[in-house]
Amino acid sequence: MNLSPEQIDLLDRYIKGKLSKDEAAAMDRRLASDDEFRWKAEEHFTIIRELKFHEQRKHLMQVLQAAHAEMESPVVTPAPEKTVVMRPAKNYWAISGVAAVVAIISIISTFYITRSIKDEQTAIYRELRRKVDQIKKSQNIMMADMAEDKKEKKKSRGNYVGTGFLISANGYVTTSYHVVKEYDSVYIENEKYGSLKAVVVHSDPANDVSILKIENARLLNLSLPYSIAKTETNLAEEVYTLGYPREDVVFGAGSISALTGYKENPNAYQVSVPVNPGNSGGPLFNSKGDIVGIISGIETQTAGVAFATKSTVLLDVIKNEALDSLHSPLVLSKQNTLRNSTRVEQVKRWKDYVFMVKVFKN
Amino acid sequence: MYYFDELIVAEIRKKSEVALRELYKTHFPMVVNLICTNNGSEQEAKDVYQEAVLAFYQKVQQPEFVLTCKIKTYLYAVCRRLWLKRLAEKKRFHGNIEESESFLGIEEEMTDIVEKEKRFDTMSRAMEGLGEPCLSIIKDFYIHDLSMEVIGGKFGYTNADNAKNQKYKCLQRLKKLFFEKHKEE
Repeated sequence: MNLSPEQIDLLDRYIKGKLSKDEAAAMDRRLASDDEFRWKAEEHFTIIRELKFHEQRKHLMQVLQAAHAEMESPVVTPAPEKTVVMRPAKNYWAISGVAAVVAIISIISTFYITRSIKDEQTAIYRELRRKVDQIKKSQNIMMADMAEDKKEKKKSRGNYVGTGFLISANGYVTTSYHVVKEYDSVYIENEKYGSLKAVVVHSDPANDVSILKIENARLLNLSLPYSIAKTETNLAEEVYTLGYPREDVVFGAGSISALTGYKENPNAYQVSVPVNPGNSGGPLFNSKGDIVGIISGIETQTAGVAFATKSTVLLDVIKNEALDSLHSPLVLSKQNTLRNSTRVEQVKRWKDYVFMVKVFKN
Repeated sequence: MYYFDELIVAEIRKKSEVALRELYKTHFPMVVNLICTNNGSEQEAKDVYQEAVLAFYQKVQQPEFVLTCKIKTYLYAVCRRLWLKRLAEKKRFHGNIEESESFLGIEEEMTDIVEKEKRFDTMSRAMEGLGEPCLSIIKDFYIHDLSMEVIGGKFGYTNADNAKNQKYKCLQRLKKLFFEKHKEE
């Protein structure tokens, strides 16, 4: 039921205090006794209250806006601080003319030089998932050459490969979001465990992080020898990665070269670790064997510039998505048993927990 | 204790716009500094600061209001919290938000500020959806307190009853828009 025009009219006059004493008393009685009417009336009062609130706030905002405009000019122009009036001697006009010409030339040339520098700096960020297609195609050609049956080789198209690593003993694996961006099914694979089916549990495109879960992880009886660094790492710290730019696991070493990533992205590090397509999603770990980041991309046209998402971002994603409160909670490992091992020993243990992530999209 | 602050509060109580403007100008540089050194731009500083000043203004209007700290401290704390919230929304901040400003009773304040902003936005969108001449008719009647006769004349209705009828329709539409938006929140 909506209020009739007459009822609205009465209510309006009631608010504005324009009802006669009797009418007001009748209205009070009705509001007290008729629940449905009171409910509708309160809706009406709400609208009017909100209208007035809106108007007042808008007005105040205009006042502040005006204050801001008033302020802007004196702030921008530097206040003339006790300017000592210096009148140039008349004889100097020629010299100052020359100076002006020099200034103009240098301004113009700087402009052109910086512009040409800008043109050169068109480095592009490139994600490091590896497209299996290309290899498949060349394989197919080889197969055709050998006069094999072509049909069988055309099972799936558009497959991608990246790297992923275990972050909890009950089978959660993390990788880069762009690796599993489009998928029908995801399998992870390494030497020790073979091929395992995984499902994408959560994706965070903004931070380029995805979390997968191994199906039937309970059967694997996993335990993790490393943990995830809770604080940002330091500049120049030595870091290592394992990944699958080819069918076999590849080790890379380098250091943290900057605490921000591509275009000063504060969520990533720049690292000097040799990486190639297929390394995406791989772990970046420090000399103690703890995870400090996830390899995500490189800058083209600049050698030796790679980027890795910070481990703090990964922890944040896990926390924000409350993945630790799932049916099978994501429990992060807190112990590190690799701390005192040699690098070779560490990598030997580590590589059991790094997987090739195979993404199938038909 | 804080001579300038007391003066500002007294003036703002009287709804003095001059005092509000002065207050605004006094503390803006501090907030620009805060935001710009923490991943923000001047424009973002302006947004956050204006919201904080509005909150302060409304707080001062409350009859039970007493000044318990410097206005500057209050504004700084509110701006800081608002900014942390926005950073968290943008996922650019990965630090610790729980730093104690509890002595200022900022907690309740923050929910209140956010709620007010939401109310304002809801009504803004409803008003946008309403369009003209409805919006002007409604405003003239409820805010500027004009009589139906004057409004009728202004909008070219032949008599007050027609204008009243139009106002009724407009109001129903505004209600529908507003409560729909309200539910979405």
